[in-house]
Amino acid sequence: MKKILIVEDDAAIRTELKALLSNDGYEAAAIEDFTDVLGQILKAEPDMVLLDINIPKMNGEVLLKELRKETTLPVIMVTSRTSEVDEVLSMSYGADDYITKPYNPTILLLRIQALFRRFDYSGEVMTYRDLKVNPAKGILSKGEEELQLTKNEMLIFQMLLQKRNQIVSRDALMTDLWDNDEFINDNALTVNISRLRAKLKSFGFEDAIETRKKQGYILL
Amino acid sequence: MRTGDYIRDKMPAVIIGILSAGIAGLFFMSFRAPSEVCIVGAAVFLLYGAFIFLWDYARKKRFYDELSQNLEQLDKGYLVLEMLEKPDFLEGELLYQFLYEIDKSMAENVKLYEESSYAFKEYIEMWIHEVKIPIASLRLMTHNEETALPNKYVEQLRRLDNLVDKVLYYMRAEHAEKDYLIKETGLREIVKRAAIHNKDDLLEQDIDFLVEEVDYQITTDTKWLEFILNQLINNAMKYKRPQGKAMIRIWAGEERDKVFLHVRDNGIGIAQSDLPRIFEKSFTGENGRGTVKSTGMGLYIAKSLCDRLGHGISVCSRQGEYTEFVITIGKNRYYKDAAM
Repeated sequence: MKKILIVEDDAAIRTELKALLSNDGYEAAAIEDFTDVLGQILKAEPDMVLLDINIPKMNGEVLLKELRKETTLPVIMVTSRTSEVDEVLSMSYGADDYITKPYNPTILLLRIQALFRRFDYSGEVMTYRDLKVNPAKGILSKGEEELQLTKNEMLIFQMLLQKRNQIVSRDALMTDLWDNDEFINDNALTVNISRLRAKLKSFGFEDAIETRKKQGYILL
Repeated sequence: MRTGDYIRDKMPAVIIGILSAGIAGLFFMSFRAPSEVCIVGAAVFLLYGAFIFLWDYARKKRFYDELSQNLEQLDKGYLVLEMLEKPDFLEGELLYQFLYEIDKSMAENVKLYEESSYAFKEYIEMWIHEVKIPIASLRLMTHNEETALPNKYVEQLRRLDNLVDKVLYYMRAEHAEKDYLIKETGLREIVKRAAIHNKDDLLEQDIDFLVEEVDYQITTDTKWLEFILNQLINNAMKYKRPQGKAMIRIWAGEERDKVFLHVRDNGIGIAQSDLPRIFEKSFTGENGRGTVKSTGMGLYIAKSLCDRLGHGISVCSRQGEYTEFVITIGKNRYYKDAAM
């Protein structure tokens, strides 16, 4: 399980953020005492840090600069400061992403997921049962048999595959699509999912995607 | 200073001078002096008077003419004293001195207001960052809730967030400090951020959101432009057509050294008579007084931000058919050349 460390001075946000991350299958920890934050981060050995700019006793940007001298672990700056200067400064100090409060929680989770994907990329081939998945070409293949997916279908399939055996909400799928420049509406999402189902069926996986009423979809 | 005005101002002295010359002439005459003596005597009086007036007139005219000319040329009238030569006559010196004192006291007064307005702005900025924290908490809480809360709760939170942002950008647009950063950036990313920001509202209201060709490199402050775009999208949602499929279309084009970003909806449109004034502060117009209340600030802020970034913004519309905003963004060649 990936461990994410939260550096955030607001207790309410800290609690909610922890809940959000653990619900999404991460191990979430938070710093409660803001003395020697740098030391605490290094000791906790997290896989990612969510860092607020306004933390007690120290500026988050300065902390980031110090942290970067020690480690390259992924850092997302989370802040209520919304100026371009802050963002450019954070990125130049080595932040991997920058999100402003209040954020859409789904977007935060997507960004975390994307960042892990970027860091963990091992070149290994993605598979679903005995299917090979080639996201770049948008192709599903089994031996010689190949099937072309549209960009949207591939995005949906990848999302479901990454969260295999977990329920993925329509909102998460929709947000992911919009985050990839596909600004589709509800009907189009439904149509895309039924097309994806039909394509999987042609490989013999008839009930691969199940609908959970009012919750979302699950890839079995 | 006009000659006529000067003479009119000195009329009593002129009359007294002429009378004195007359009296002097009569005085000489009463001593049976030769008529030449009488005339010369009166003439000396007149000459003396005329000389004093001419001399006085000349130096005053120079001073006041320079003053009024400078005032006309300066767009900041209060700086006039800086450009004025110190006068060499008493009234002028007094005036100069008083103006200096008045200027100084006014400058102090203005500085006081500047300081208090700066402190006010600082506090509002800080407050906005503070108020975003509980909004962020609420956003997370509604998301984490076991049984999903109805959308209406989150919708109100988004509304709250948008309203807070409006104050923030109003502050930024109104105050002279440079708190923006212009850099080269991709237009698509900004459009995407604005799209995601409004995603839930667009889906809920079943508005089609179409983004066509927007792959241009522009120089702008991404946060400011995103806010401007948000305002336009918000307006399009607010004034969507009552029946039929509502739609917002965004695309861009380029022409020589400019990129044109178009935001077009098929909403209720804007009355022709309102069009010239829609970017004015607090202007509400026909639409703003209708079913949807408007404060007339959104477009004003958008325009002010565009002005400060050096972007243009214009609108065309036909009632009952469409509204289209075009933002004109310069491509900074110098910037590009320097980067290469």
